[in-house]
This record gives sequence, structure tokens and C-alpha cells, in this order.
Amino acid sequence: MAVVQKRAVAEYRGGPATLAGYGPTDWLGGWRPLWYSCGIILACNLFLWIWDYNFEYYAGLNSNSREFTLYYRTLFWGELISLGIFTGLWYGWLVRTGRELLGEKIEHAEEVRRIAVMWSIIGATSLSLWIEASFWPNWDGAWHQTMVRDTALTPTHIPMFYFFFPLSAILALGTYLYGRFRVPALYGADKGFPWSFTLLIAACVLECVQVAFNEWGHSLWIAEEFFAAPFHWPFVTYGWLAGGMFAFWGETIFRLYEIEKAAEQEQSQPMAEVSG
Amino acid sequence: MAAATPAISPELRKRRELGDLLRKQYRWIDRTWDAVFWITAVFIVAGAADITKLLFAGDWDFWTDWKDAQWWPVLTPFATIIIPSALQYIQWTAWRFPTGATYTSVCLFFASWLGRYFQWHVAEGYPLNFVYPVTTVGAGLIMDLILLETKSYILTSLFGSAAWAFFVWAYNYVSLAPFLQPAQFMHHIVTVADVQGIAYLRSQTPEYLRHIERGTLRSFLGETQYVALVFGMSVSIVGYWIGQFIGRYLSVWPIRRYIKNY
Repeated sequence: MAVVQKRAVAEYRGGPATLAGYGPTDWLGGWRPLWYSCGIILACNLFLWIWDYNFEYYAGLNSNSREFTLYYRTLFWGELISLGIFTGLWYGWLVRTGRELLGEKIEHAEEVRRIAVMWSIIGATSLSLWIEASFWPNWDGAWHQTMVRDTALTPTHIPMFYFFFPLSAILALGTYLYGRFRVPALYGADKGFPWSFTLLIAACVLECVQVAFNEWGHSLWIAEEFFAAPFHWPFVTYGWLAGGMFAFWGETIFRLYEIEKAAEQEQSQPMAEVSG
Repeated sequence: MAAATPAISPELRKRRELGDLLRKQYRWIDRTWDAVFWITAVFIVAGAADITKLLFAGDWDFWTDWKDAQWWPVLTPFATIIIPSALQYIQWTAWRFPTGATYTSVCLFFASWLGRYFQWHVAEGYPLNFVYPVTTVGAGLIMDLILLETKSYILTSLFGSAAWAFFVWAYNYVSLAPFLQPAQFMHHIVTVADVQGIAYLRSQTPEYLRHIERGTLRSFLGETQYVALVFGMSVSIVGYWIGQFIGRYLSVWPIRRYIKNY
């Protein structure tokens, strides 16, 4: 009975039948990607935390050792390769299927669902940014101020710099690609490149640039770890430029109001014609 | 004859219109959007606030023996006020919620403790009473209250920032004070915090980076921290306006064209 009711409500709200009766803003409808994307990110983080916890002292202290190659260089390449494969597949799917959708009329309910999906991916980006800006930097500080390092690929750098940093950039750009083809009213090619994504993507890309500068600096003149050192300061830019995420939320909310208004007008139009 | 409808004042009409708008039922705009926004924003706010604190005042926040009377009261409020100020602008502009600084402080509180507990304590074995983070929740409440009362960013920047610097110091001094008690260690009088700093080795933070208090004007003596505190209040004003820049130009300004369209 509950399922029938849910289906009836979903149909009233214009939910697509393909989502097993769930409407565009039901937790298991439009918001479903939020659950599995955040679940995957947290699972990756848990795996990397347990990996470091188990092997950092055993294999992470000497980058010339066989153990380091086995446990950490392998992890480094594993991260980069898996991220590369994921990016290729996801972006490829977004662009290939997105092109087929171009020019199609989008139902209001479907557009709302797509905006919910974008919010879900941005939610996952937010989670990834917290992991890279707070969770791992704490371990980075604890490890580097305590241990003498002999490589840029330290046990705390490998998950933080070479997994979560690029992952945030991939998610931010992927969200834009999703919107570019699927929410053209906001992010279509004719709308130009939005400032929200300019800032957000710049934040994610700049952090990768800063990693290069940071490691270059450490290799040249500051071997020790002083966390509040001036040449660490540029890292804050990604936290600040990620303010573009609020702009994304703002502009999509305005679009939701436009959709509601359009749906309301369409509903009242036939009634006006009848009464006229 | 029908009775004449009593005239209603323009203010009452406006109130009714706003009330209708508030109670309006939308087809797709429901509470799930609110829930997703407030919950997922926690992460980016926590991340931005923590990385700003770590990179501008991290060393003074990591260890009790770095929480000194000269630099800690200056750098910590400056580093921690930036993102709360940005969120204060965003939340006040969008909803007239005077909650931005408190919201950020609570996010930062959880993020900092997660980091300190899992990374510093569990993974690296430092005792939590050596590496605990500062809290800014009390200062956030006061700064939001000042915005609510003054409804002015300029006044909040002047009085709120000063209050922020003072209360960040005051609330955290309670937990720090026991570690500033004198102790005899290897025939020297040092603080308990110094004993912690000596007992727990930090190989990559050499002795020349270890914080040793000094002053050229010895007559300041115990007043040093109050002088630092007043300077910290001044520096916090700068931090507040950096945060306002982030809120205004990196978060709200990009959506201006959508506001115009709407």
C-alpha cells in the first residue's frame, strides 16, 4: 500500500518511472547519488587510513627500502591509475551520453532530478575537500613534524596529495560536465563558463599546483616542517576559492524557483482558457 | 449592501504577502534541499576553516608548549576569524541568520577534534592533552550576537573582531592554564607544557623552531599577554575583512546575474 501511495505521489510530482516510483527529490530518487558517492569516498578514506596506520612505521620511513616500494610506491601508482581509469570512464560517459541529450526537451521533474544529482556530486566534492583540507593535513603535520622525511612521496602525502587532491578536481570538473549537457538552462554552452565553477575548479587545480611548489620548496631550502611557514600559505587559496560552491548552490536554487514558476503557469493556463 | 472591507495598512499587506510566500507549497522545493545543503556544506566549511587555521597558526595550535603569551593570542584569532566572517556574510545575506560564525566554529570544532584524535593521538601516539585544538564556539556565539544586535558588518568588524580575539583567548586559557604551572625538570624551572614538549620528540621541528618566549622590554613581564591580546584584536579586524571578501566576492558575487534574472 505504501509503495502504491509513494508511486502515486511520485507521479503527481512528475517523478520518472525509471526510478522505481521515487520522485526527483526523494532520498532514493534524485538524491541517490549522494549516498553512494559519499559512501565510496568514505570507504576509500577508511582503506587509506588503515593502510597508513598499519604500514607507516614498518614501510614508510625509508624510501630506498624494498618495503617502501612494495607498500607505498605501489599504492601511489595504484591511486593514480585507478583515478585515471575512473576519470576516463566517467567523463567519457558524461560527454557521450550528454551529446545525445542535447536539444531534447527536458521535463520539469527531470530537470529537478538532474539538479539534485548535481548537488549530490557537489556534496561528494565537499566531503573530499574536507578530507584533503582537514583530515589528512592533521596526519601530515603529526607525521612530518615527528619523522625525518627523505622523499616527496611520504606515507601521508600519498593519500592526500595524490588521491584526494586530484579526486576533488575530477569531481568538480565532472559536475560541470554533467551540468553542461544535462542542465543547459544554467550551464549550456551558450551561457558561457560560470564563475561558480571557475572558482571551484580553480580551487581544486591550484591545490595541485601548490603541491608541486611545496615539494619543490622542501627539496630546495626548507627540509624541516614548520606548518605555518610562508611557503605553505598558498594552500589556503583552495579553501577560500571553494567559496564558489556556495555560488553553485545559489544559482541552482534560483533555477529551481524558475522551474516551479513555469510549472505553476503551465498548470493555470488550461484553467484560464476554460474559464475564458 | 455589502459591508465595506476594512482598509489594511501597507505594512500589514506586506506581512501577509511574506507570510503567504513562506507558507507557499512548492512541488519540488522541499526540506530535502535544506537538509542536503546544511549537511554537505559542513564539510567544505570545516575544511576551509581548518586549513586556514593550520596554515596560519597551526604550530601554535598543535602543541601546548607553543601556546605562548606573545604569538598565540595574535595569530590564532586572526587565522580562525576568516572563514566565520565569510559564513556570517553568506548566512546573514541569504536568510538573515546571525549564525555564520557559530556554524563555522561548530564545524571547525568537530573537524579539528577528528583530526587530532585519529591522526595525532591514535596514529602517532601523542597524548590529547598535549595536542588538543582550540575551540572558537564561544567566540562565534558572541560575534553572531554582535551582528544580530548591530545589523552592521562595520560595527561587527570593530567590536565583533575584538570580542572574537578576547574570547578565543579567554575560553581557551581555561584549559591551557594548568599547563602553564611551574615544574622542576632537570634542575630547571619550566612549565608543565615545556616538560611535554621535551618528553615528546619532534625530530623535524628543530630546536631553533621551538618556541622560546623572550622580550626586549622585560618590564612588560606578565603584561605581555595583554599587550598581545590587544594587538590580536587589531589583527582580527583584518582577518574579518579577508573573510568578508571571500563571502562577498567568491561566494555571492558570482550569482549576481541569476539574481538579476530572477
